[in-house]
Amino acid sequence: MSILRVEGLVKSYRDTLALDDVSFEFDKGILSILGPSGCGKTTLLRCIAGLEVPEQGAIYIADKLQTSISRGIFVPPYSRAIGFVFQNYALWPHMSVFSNVAFGLKLQKLTSAEIQKRVQSALELVGLKNYETRYPSQLSGGQQQRVALARSIVMEPRLILLDEPLSNLDAKLREETRVELRKLIKKVGISALYVTHDQEEAFVISDTVIVMDKGKILQYASPDEIYNKPANQFVASFIGRAAVVDGRLVRAEGQDCLVEIPDFNNATLVCQKPKGGAVGEACKVVIRTAEVELDSRKLNHKDNVLEGLMLSHDYRGGLTDHRILVGSKEIVVTSHKLCPMINIEDRGERIYVYIDKSALSIITEPQPSLSQLTEL
Amino acid sequence: MAKNVAVEAAVHFPRVRLAYSQGTLFPLFASIITGSLIIAPVLVVLFRSLTTARLGAFVGLTGENYMRVLADPKIFEMLWNSTIYAAGSAILGTVLGALLAWIVARTNTPGKALVELMPLYPILMPPIMKNIAWILLLAPNAGILNNLLLEYFGIEGRPFNAFSMSAMIWVFGLACVPLGYLFLLPVFLSFDPSLEESAYIAGSRPMNTLWRITFPLAIPAFLSALILNFLRGLRSFETPVLQGSPGGIHVFVSRVYDAMSVEYNPALATAYSAVLVVISILVLLFYIRTTRFSERYATITGKGYRVKVIDIGKWKYVTFLVVFSYFLIGIAIPFVVLIVVSFIPYYDFETFMKFPTNMVLANYYRVMRHPSFVTGLYNSLTLSLTIAVVTVLMGIVMAFTMYRTRAYGTKIFEFIGSLPLAFPPLVLSLGLVIVFLGTPLYNTLWALGLGLFVAYFPYALRNASGSIVNIHKELDEAAWVHGARWRHVFFKVTLPILKPSVAGALFYIFIESIRNIDVAVLLTAPGVEYGPVTLFEYFRVGQWAEAAAGGVIYLIILIVAVSVAKLAFNVKLSL
Repeated sequence: MSILRVEGLVKSYRDTLALDDVSFEFDKGILSILGPSGCGKTTLLRCIAGLEVPEQGAIYIADKLQTSISRGIFVPPYSRAIGFVFQNYALWPHMSVFSNVAFGLKLQKLTSAEIQKRVQSALELVGLKNYETRYPSQLSGGQQQRVALARSIVMEPRLILLDEPLSNLDAKLREETRVELRKLIKKVGISALYVTHDQEEAFVISDTVIVMDKGKILQYASPDEIYNKPANQFVASFIGRAAVVDGRLVRAEGQDCLVEIPDFNNATLVCQKPKGGAVGEACKVVIRTAEVELDSRKLNHKDNVLEGLMLSHDYRGGLTDHRILVGSKEIVVTSHKLCPMINIEDRGERIYVYIDKSALSIITEPQPSLSQLTEL
Repeated sequence: MAKNVAVEAAVHFPRVRLAYSQGTLFPLFASIITGSLIIAPVLVVLFRSLTTARLGAFVGLTGENYMRVLADPKIFEMLWNSTIYAAGSAILGTVLGALLAWIVARTNTPGKALVELMPLYPILMPPIMKNIAWILLLAPNAGILNNLLLEYFGIEGRPFNAFSMSAMIWVFGLACVPLGYLFLLPVFLSFDPSLEESAYIAGSRPMNTLWRITFPLAIPAFLSALILNFLRGLRSFETPVLQGSPGGIHVFVSRVYDAMSVEYNPALATAYSAVLVVISILVLLFYIRTTRFSERYATITGKGYRVKVIDIGKWKYVTFLVVFSYFLIGIAIPFVVLIVVSFIPYYDFETFMKFPTNMVLANYYRVMRHPSFVTGLYNSLTLSLTIAVVTVLMGIVMAFTMYRTRAYGTKIFEFIGSLPLAFPPLVLSLGLVIVFLGTPLYNTLWALGLGLFVAYFPYALRNASGSIVNIHKELDEAAWVHGARWRHVFFKVTLPILKPSVAGALFYIFIESIRNIDVAVLLTAPGVEYGPVTLFEYFRVGQWAEAAAGGVIYLIILIVAVSVAKLAFNVKLSL
């Protein structure tokens, strides 16, 4: 039993593949689909809702077949009994807040007392109790967003799909709303599929995350795992601040291993041993630069010291980005304002970068060979 | 060093201020002249309606004309006729136009390209041509349809009557279709698809979605088109005079015309006019209120969405029938009838049916040898060109004064510049006739030109202010800062940026004025001919075939003008 199962979805627009053989299964909680714009995440959501017809593949909602190209089955969107919150909310401007929320209930031929009750409680839930008679144009962006949400949850759907519902709000409101939104979905207890391009938003809101790029699912895991064990270079660089450098596994030592990094003057770093990967193999080393330490003094009791040259500082308020040249590679390290170990005025000075092995991860994705490249 | 800079700045500052106020002077002066030209006939109509004296003499103000109009037992009949005629054609035209817009924008109807040329149709077919074509088709005795019914189907009783209210509504209603179409097409094309999609998600089927979401969202644009068409009906001249008056159906415009041209009673004409103006203003105010109401729907405008064409299944044969019938009845048949009649020796049903064996060019010869038509043709060409250029230029100057200079109280120009909209063109020219009486300008092309100028100025002004408001003020200010005077700013910055919309307005005013009848009809005289008015007179005296030939000549001129505008200047064409 799963609330949603997607099998081998393919969809293209002109020459580009929006969905390239996408399959996944999802049951309870909140699942985010995270990826840059144009990665196919909205297309995926619209296919699930029945607003788009894929070219291949099948979609099951609550184990019932909704779309199957091979079997010629397509349930229209009005019969799928799901919720959808649009990016621009899509509130009907000619209807009051009440009529907007009650629209679907009226189609179900419920009694007006029942409709009244359910609309009231949905609006109460989103904190818009006395707004029934207002029109969408009289509401702020945040309020419109909540009406759109109320309109979806009032139908008590099995599954609610949200297409970047916070992207039209300003930054401060967005941060408040995402916490509220998670609480609310948890309270109602429906499964939600949440599309976003904002990594922080995805992590705050969801229980599990799918990272997509170019129509493919790159990783499907918990936020923690995606952050600490990115499946490939794209995930690593898309999630948070990280420097990704080429490396080579030179030795294994119990749980750890040693990687040599040509760009850093062949310096070696101790890391946790990855699952795959044999000695001598090429790999990518992901350094989460928000987790490294800087010091102008050389400390001998720590592992993984890189010697670098401080190039410049970008002052960001509470945080400062330091541009540091290590070997032939420039890396950007973020330090907290209160970090006492460096002088912020320093420029052109020698600086030591201390990297705990927890701030490192190794990706041993097979490098595409020349024959594979020509195939593409 | 620092002190020097300060001194220099202090010296230059007043000069900058001076240049700025000098920049205001000329445009302001020009706008004041333009404004007075517009306001003169308006005031005269009001003044004349309050006096009973013969033109030129003054015997004090009196409400006698109004009393006479209001005491006229036919006033209610006229009011009723005007309302039924304007409302009937507005409803017919706007509903049909909206339906066609929806079919073109949102359905997979075959052959919808037939309707996509709609914006060109009113340009090519002047109003009087439509009236002539439909009178030829629907006239009770000589009309083609009645005779066809009798001859081929044996139906007697001659059911069609071109000189009835229903025929008036039919002909003017068809003329209202393009406006309804043009107002609603962008609504259906720029429709945010997620508004429909969210209805589907909520469980609404396509038909229900159409009635509950799609159509209600088009209501504001529909109401705008409906009210504008109603106003056009109240102001229209050709249909009431050519079809209404012969059938004894009088509306305000035809009464004004009769009072002036038949009874020659200017005071009575102005009194009828004043009543008509009051009604027009009420309708205009209502229109403004409606557009305010539509701001609630503001969320539909905005981004360019890709709208989905809906597969309407077997209904597409029904919509195809609608599209095809409109093309046939609204465009093709009147066109063909007009061209055929222009090539037969004279018009009656038997001669018409013998076409093409009796094809002759006699009508064209006759028309082209007729001095009043030839000079009228020449006058209409040169005058329209001049008027288009002058009107558009002065419109820009006035808009420039309102939005780009620091002169005080320029908002009054917006009111004055829009004032002619409240006045039916015939009433405006009536005012001008009275203004010019006894002056050397009376019965000259200058007076005619001035009438056209006043009538079309609101379009030029609205076009120019709409565009000027959209140009960032910084572009002007950058020019001021770099030492430009007003003429530099106007000719080097404002005008070049406005070029595309200027071209559109120029073309529109040229087309409208070259075929104008309702402004020109009272301002023409022997020696001051205007082509369309000559055609109108031909038709009034029963020379239908000549009128058709003259109409075809105008048609060719308009086609050439459209092609030149489209091919040489790439002007965006609409109504």
